[in-house]
Amino acid sequence: MFKSYRNILLSAAIIAAASTTLFAGSDASRTYANGKKVIDGGSTYPVKKGKTSSYYVNEKAHKTAFHMGRPATADEIKAWNIDIMPDGTGLPEGKGTVEEGDAIYEEKCAACHFDFGTGGAGYPALQKGNAYEGQKSLTNQRVDGNDEGPIRVFGTYWPRASTLWWYIKTGMPHPAPLSLSDDEVYALCAYIISINELEIDGEELDDEYELNREKFLKLVMPNKDGFIPKIDGKNGLENTRKFFNDFSNYGNGTRCMKNCFDGEPKIARIQGVGISDYQPPLSNKKDLPPKKEGAGGEHPGKKAYEASCSVCHGTDAMGAPMVGNKKAWEAILKKGIDKVYHNAIHGINGMPPKGGTSLPDEKIKEIVDYMVSEAK
Amino acid sequence: MTKISKASETENIVSGRRDFFRKSAVFSVSAMAAASVMAPVKIDAEELKGDPAILEEQPWGTTFGFPVTHNLYGQPSPYEHNVTRRNTKLLSSGNWYASIAMCPIQDMNGIITPNGLFFSRSHGGTAEIDPNKHRLMIHGLVEKTLVLTMDELKRYPSVSRIHFIECPANGGPEWRNPQFPSIQFAKGMMSCAEWTGVYIKDILKDLGLKPNARWMLAEGADNSHMGRTIPIDKVLDDAMIVWAQNGEALRPEQGYPIRLLVPGWEGNLCVKWLCRLEFADEPFYAKEETAKYTALKKSGKAIQHFYANEVNSVITSPCPEKPWTDLKKGDIVEIEGLAWSGMGTIEGVDITFDGGKNWVEASLKGLVLPKAWTRFSFIYKWDGKPIILGSRARDDAGHIQPTVKHEREVMGVESVYHRNGIHTWEVTAKGEVNNVQVLS
Repeated sequence: MFKSYRNILLSAAIIAAASTTLFAGSDASRTYANGKKVIDGGSTYPVKKGKTSSYYVNEKAHKTAFHMGRPATADEIKAWNIDIMPDGTGLPEGKGTVEEGDAIYEEKCAACHFDFGTGGAGYPALQKGNAYEGQKSLTNQRVDGNDEGPIRVFGTYWPRASTLWWYIKTGMPHPAPLSLSDDEVYALCAYIISINELEIDGEELDDEYELNREKFLKLVMPNKDGFIPKIDGKNGLENTRKFFNDFSNYGNGTRCMKNCFDGEPKIARIQGVGISDYQPPLSNKKDLPPKKEGAGGEHPGKKAYEASCSVCHGTDAMGAPMVGNKKAWEAILKKGIDKVYHNAIHGINGMPPKGGTSLPDEKIKEIVDYMVSEAK
Repeated sequence: MTKISKASETENIVSGRRDFFRKSAVFSVSAMAAASVMAPVKIDAEELKGDPAILEEQPWGTTFGFPVTHNLYGQPSPYEHNVTRRNTKLLSSGNWYASIAMCPIQDMNGIITPNGLFFSRSHGGTAEIDPNKHRLMIHGLVEKTLVLTMDELKRYPSVSRIHFIECPANGGPEWRNPQFPSIQFAKGMMSCAEWTGVYIKDILKDLGLKPNARWMLAEGADNSHMGRTIPIDKVLDDAMIVWAQNGEALRPEQGYPIRLLVPGWEGNLCVKWLCRLEFADEPFYAKEETAKYTALKKSGKAIQHFYANEVNSVITSPCPEKPWTDLKKGDIVEIEGLAWSGMGTIEGVDITFDGGKNWVEASLKGLVLPKAWTRFSFIYKWDGKPIILGSRARDDAGHIQPTVKHEREVMGVESVYHRNGIHTWEVTAKGEVNNVQVLS
């Protein structure tokens, strides 16, 4: 046993075993047994007489150390430890220029985030102009006829730059995360920092600017102090406890029972039909589901379509003909099916050859057949 | 139960009308058997008075049902196909991979959501993980690191708890105005289940935390590699790693084979497809705790690490999907709803019929558990006049649902997350139900 482990266990046991502020008719406590407030501003339920709240507990089960599994190897930890912390922990060496980032962006990112990261169609914008100016919009409220909302993009809103590197490396491009090299990630970061017009060490990032680990860690985000409570450093947890235990920080009601306001209630209603394009549409009917034509077997192209094509063709927002959109597909089929196969295999407009996949021609044709069948 | 149309009962049937019915029923049963026609028997309304559902033989009473070998994993009745999760484009990041499917809370009974209807949110699609190739790793500021197979994980003493999981954006599209003519979309980013798993504090008994371990990163193995930072207080209180939901393995949509469960806290913190826990002295600043899941106040400052879903409630009957259009003036009806708090146990719920000017206390019913859906009920005689119906819950930590007005005064309208203002429905004289907000 380790000394630190004993300490932690002790505090865990105290948290579980006792309480100071009990409510009438409830075994809830607002403080842990170590005297600290419950961190989220709520209640905790210590085990008393073998029960926590309404649940019985085998207390021995929770006082016994179980020795399962094995320690991780250094290589295993290295393989999985993919997070990047604000102080640079986990951030690898590497480099990339704005220009290189621009090229990678065009190839791998613009299909969803659009040119210059302007976003749209449900995909987030990566910039909305000068980030130092944009940060000032965070007090905007869309009320009383003001339709300018706060700008919450990387440059204007995010408190730490490390999040960007981590996000791109482990989450982007959306259909193929973990596929970019470290240098590619640096290049993309350089590009995104430049389109946000952010400065590093007082310097704007021109096309030739080469970002590396050292420079990246110097990037100070305009909204770094825009978040409450303060979670960093030794007092982070205590700040958090204090913040959420002061209900006025996020509002609390009062239990008024009679004449709670003057006059008639002021009512706000849904404008027009509101948002009601639901899939499937709402229904209370207790009937048999409509029979699908040709039921009994899934189209052979369906799986491959979903894996490789639906990111663009599953929505009409991308400029790609949406699967199921009769009109769009009627227009395409006027060219004849062979031409459609040809375009799918060799690329057309914004669509790269085979949609960027390396599937065999026959599979692509099968996918086209599936997409056509869905529009009938 | 005596069936008048059974051929063996002819002796007792004296009525001419009944005799006619017997003959036609016998004829039609044999006709059905011959032609496999599933249509109910047609009866001349002049001849028999009553409900055809009673007077006519039904095919399920006169033929075999399915053998027990059918559907070895049971399915709902096909007649329930409209009770289903639903999506809308508005809440989808350009495709259906980073999106949400809403729970049909209008159709829920009691406090447990069936696994197939549990709301589902993912950031890179629903991963389908081979449990044999899945591991949980614990490392960072621990004295001893740990790798567990799924079988090894399930050797720890198990704990079963009923908790809701709610996306903190539940109701979030309605900060500025009501938007959805539907409870499924207005409040369906939540569900409640019995979860089985292990307390993380129990695993740590063997590992030993270092004294400067203040935060824990939880990370998923799916496409999005979702990471979230959890404070050590919660880890040592009630945070769990769960593998079962309502008695069976987690569904893929809920993170099969394992997910984190931080009872009462943002659904996003309950990281699905969990593969890694790392302890550190500083918070991690993951993508979904800065770019998203932060509540921007009108001061321009945003609340980060806004862990718990605050006390909340909604009337589920009536609601837009379950109106009173079948009721008549003077009918007595049960008003029913759900209350929940991620900060504790529901202590009570008040309801209003006049948009929040006056309130009366409703009854709680059924199990009342911490951080779980709680049912409330009120028996009401409707006089057929329009009403503005609303509910206001309170919990044992002292939180009370605010009015929409008060919530906006504190937060503004740009928060996106953590909206728990009093929800109201307008019931019209026809019994239709509209989603409205009271700004008084």
